[in-house]
Amino acid sequence: MADKIYRVRMNDLSFSVEDVPKEWLGLGGRGLTSTIVAAEVDPECHPLGPNNKMVFAPGLLSGTAAANSGRTSLGAKSPLTGGIKESNSGGTSAGIMAKLGVKALIIEGLPEEDDTFYHIHVTKEHVTIEPIPELVGKENFEVLDTMLERYGRKVAVFSIGTPGEQRMLISNISVKDPQGKIRSLGRGGLGAVMGSKKIKVITVDAGDSKETYLADAATFRAANKAFTKALKENPISGEGLPAFGTDILVNIINEAGGLPSMNFRYGTSENAEELSGEHVAENIQERGGKTTHGCHAGCVIQCSQVYNDKDGNYVTSGFEYEMIWAFGANYGIDDIDTIAHIDHIMDDIGVDAIETGVTFGVAAEGGMLPFGDGEAVIKILTEEIPNGTPTGRVIGSGAGNVGKLYGVVRVPVVKNQGMPAYEPRAIKGQGITYVTTPMGADHTAGYAVATNILNSGGHIDPLKKEGQVELSRNLQIASAAIDSTGMCIFVAFPALDDPACLPALIDMINARFGAELTGDDVTNLGKNILKLEHAFNLKAGLGKADDRIPEFMKYETLPPHDAIWDFTNEEIDAFWDF
Amino acid sequence: MTINFNAFSFARLTLRSQGIECVNVDRELRDGMTIQDFIDELGFEAGEIEAVFLNGTIRPKSTVLHDGDRVALLPPGTPGSYRLILGIKAMNDQETSPE
Repeated sequence: MADKIYRVRMNDLSFSVEDVPKEWLGLGGRGLTSTIVAAEVDPECHPLGPNNKMVFAPGLLSGTAAANSGRTSLGAKSPLTGGIKESNSGGTSAGIMAKLGVKALIIEGLPEEDDTFYHIHVTKEHVTIEPIPELVGKENFEVLDTMLERYGRKVAVFSIGTPGEQRMLISNISVKDPQGKIRSLGRGGLGAVMGSKKIKVITVDAGDSKETYLADAATFRAANKAFTKALKENPISGEGLPAFGTDILVNIINEAGGLPSMNFRYGTSENAEELSGEHVAENIQERGGKTTHGCHAGCVIQCSQVYNDKDGNYVTSGFEYEMIWAFGANYGIDDIDTIAHIDHIMDDIGVDAIETGVTFGVAAEGGMLPFGDGEAVIKILTEEIPNGTPTGRVIGSGAGNVGKLYGVVRVPVVKNQGMPAYEPRAIKGQGITYVTTPMGADHTAGYAVATNILNSGGHIDPLKKEGQVELSRNLQIASAAIDSTGMCIFVAFPALDDPACLPALIDMINARFGAELTGDDVTNLGKNILKLEHAFNLKAGLGKADDRIPEFMKYETLPPHDAIWDFTNEEIDAFWDF
Repeated sequence: MTINFNAFSFARLTLRSQGIECVNVDRELRDGMTIQDFIDELGFEAGEIEAVFLNGTIRPKSTVLHDGDRVALLPPGTPGSYRLILGIKAMNDQETSPE
């Protein structure tokens, strides 16, 4: 049976199962979510009002044996940025949705009853929408365990904690991972959209369904073999990430003078060695954790890890560079175990690690609490935010709003979204991605490399402007394309060295659908998605003036390189000349 | 001359297994040594060090070191687009491509 669109209407608690329109057939992941949001959501709508929609979609290769194909995309208008948003995550949901034949799950409208939260349960051609009062006010791990007890471990679970219920802009959506822990649809405050629709939890049960047919199974298997080989034999995806995780970047970015510290005052951190991937890996080995851990079935990179405390007890998994940076370098906590504890709390309550960490940096700058005070952070996350106190709501409103409330000038946001762990003054290519991506300041928007459009000539100097706009454009096009396959974006790393990697990925897509896509088709897909998202933002009122770096970066130099943001508006706007 | 020296990821493991301190340590070198001379002195083989930060920027391995320099050795395995954005790959390509 062909894939279907599952549509849930919260206004009358009804659902329909629809044929996939022809123009959506070749799309998946971000390509599909952004296409549907652009087609069905009024760009001028209030993100928390009745006219916003949530669109969940597995990738084109999700549910197959393709290595690293288990990412789920969620699209909506973001209440944080006011623009279009695609957030994606590992976990088990992409494979389960694909096996059930769910091309996309669209949730629209708001329920009439404002004091009831609902549970949406998706099965073959059926959806139930029922009140779930017993889980209101509970956090993610309790919600997750309750659902697993009710439906068994093979069910996909999306949930929000109390910040999402309260429609806080730092809230995210949790996704069950293969071990029964949590991954996150992190950025853009999409937990608040789920909260506005009064949905506490969504479960998807594929039962015995296996709708992921292959048009040419033999070719698919051969291409997947080549693809997996490329991932496993590459020094990044095959060795560096499994050994040290993404946190290996702390020392590297610090050495480059691009590790934002103390709310983006400095480009290096005194805490770098404590925070480093090397140190985290040592702790994991000493304490019986795991340096390798996959966020979804079929991952051969295993960049995640299991981090235990000094007594060998589980604390957290998915302990990523950006989270460790946010609380260690940017907010200044000098103890990695305190940061791990905070990571666990954030998984439980469901807040975006980057936005929350950047918010604490701005709050410290404004004098709300001292820099580096881990206990103060823990108290706010466990008491103030869940109870919706004024302090909890202030932090829950995100970095841009806290900056306004406290009269802070040094507020590192683009389109009101907090900047991740790479200083735009010292790593200028990243800065161009922050200002131009339709997503607001987002590092993963420019993460992938498509070698067929990469200008490999010449040395890129991260401190200089030359070549950066073109580089960022190429990275963003490739990232948009990879995000649409449902692949983890890390699959693009071997592509820099191994010319067999991306063609094998395209071969798999062709063998899955009986298509004849070329590398150029895929890069064109990336271009089209970017343009579609940009057009949505323009209609939403986000114009050129929103494609700008915070002003302080244009007059404050960043130690140690005394770097400054020196792009003209014309240079930035030329990004869209394609 | 005295330089300040760091080694990251696998390079750190390699040096530590030989009892060589490599986290923010000062090290005496002969005057006139290049980065490559230093890499050779530590016993690394070709390909084990992909790129080198000298005073915070990626520099050619043929660069002559000076008193007070800060050096960090980076083996293959840098994730993200940062291998590209920081100029690590371009420098490595330049140094390993046949003339």
